[in-house]
Amino acid sequence: MQEILTDCGAEDVLGLQIGGPSGTFISNQEFDRKLAFEDLATGGSFIVFNNSRNILDIAHNFTHFFAHESCGFCTPCRVGTSLLKKQLDKIVEGHGSAGDVVALEELCQLIKTHSHCGLGQTAANPVLTTLERYPELYQSQLKLISYEPGFDLDAALETARRMANRDDAGAHLAQIDVE
Amino acid sequence: MNKTITIDGNAIPFEDGQTIMEAATAAGVYIPHLCHHPEYTPHGSCKLCTVRVNGRVCSACTFPAAEGQDVLNNTKDLNDDRKLITQMLFVEGNHFCPSCEKTGNCQLQAVAYYLNMLDDHFPHFYAHREMDASHHEVMIDHNRCIFCTLCVRASQQKDGKDVFAISGRGINKHLIVNAQSGLLKDTDLEASDQAAHICPTGAILIKRTGYTVPIGERIYDHKQIDEVALAEESRPLSKEIDHG
Repeated sequence: MQEILTDCGAEDVLGLQIGGPSGTFISNQEFDRKLAFEDLATGGSFIVFNNSRNILDIAHNFTHFFAHESCGFCTPCRVGTSLLKKQLDKIVEGHGSAGDVVALEELCQLIKTHSHCGLGQTAANPVLTTLERYPELYQSQLKLISYEPGFDLDAALETARRMANRDDAGAHLAQIDVE
Repeated sequence: MNKTITIDGNAIPFEDGQTIMEAATAAGVYIPHLCHHPEYTPHGSCKLCTVRVNGRVCSACTFPAAEGQDVLNNTKDLNDDRKLITQMLFVEGNHFCPSCEKTGNCQLQAVAYYLNMLDDHFPHFYAHREMDASHHEVMIDHNRCIFCTLCVRASQQKDGKDVFAISGRGINKHLIVNAQSGLLKDTDLEASDQAAHICPTGAILIKRTGYTVPIGERIYDHKQIDEVALAEESRPLSKEIDHG
């Protein structure tokens, strides 16, 4: 890896995506690894990210890509890639809480193991390969509460408030329990 | 001498050309499934029948049985994953068992019972799905469609028609009917067609028959789906199977 990076004059490298979105993300601590079927396989795709890039943004972008690309034939990929998109959005947007990264990984393994074809079997790789290398990055996104619902509680009450013609404090819900 | 595979350590005989599902069913071994039906070409899409064949993950309904196969079926790991896949189907559509007229006769519900599914686990999609009540005898509630394609296959392979198809991609996949208007009333579907009776959930229903059998006296109110499936699917397949 280092040889290729030197040859192409890459500086200030954060990490590499080898083999496209379904391949492997490697950190800048692994540049002694080799481009080979036995190590890092690729059909040619080799993406270099510098330190101005955000790892979670990369995983987020690729995960949305796979949810869009799923043909929908099998349950694990059709529903799973969309659930993965939702779960990652929840974490990246700062609504994750304890247990959400564990749930994210559980979902990745399910999609990887049970999908019918290679798309589903590799769709979780952007999350899995970055989660393996930067677990603290995912954890640091989580709120220090035990649980936050996956949707906006107060917004969900809007129709009921309008119908009941009230807007007092009792007609509103906090998203999380304030202790 | 008979050829055999092993399923969970037990020797199961098979004939050339049989899938693992067919060999298992004939031998009285239940493998959970929704999109599989013995009378139709296997589809392999629901992934409920996922088994491990010599360590490799395979769909039992499409994978041919062969000498030397050591199959894992009824294991905790596989049943845990099958439960998660069932939960995916539940959150993808809108499945309200207590108010559904198919309750008790629904295979999705029965598989969930069998796998001890006690919650939805995943966040709901709250998908907006239409109903089609245009046909005078048959209705479609798209909220309950799980895209098993059994109605598509039954219409083509049994009824000699081509009433149903799946359109769209990914999470936007949906059931369509073969009419310019997109309405069931403008197709050549009749209530006596096998396609109108094959739905494993409550997505395709015969009108005015929903409560002829009271809730509490229906198939899966009293029997587990493994017992029902083995009794129905291992017998000679001449008689119509009606889950409705």
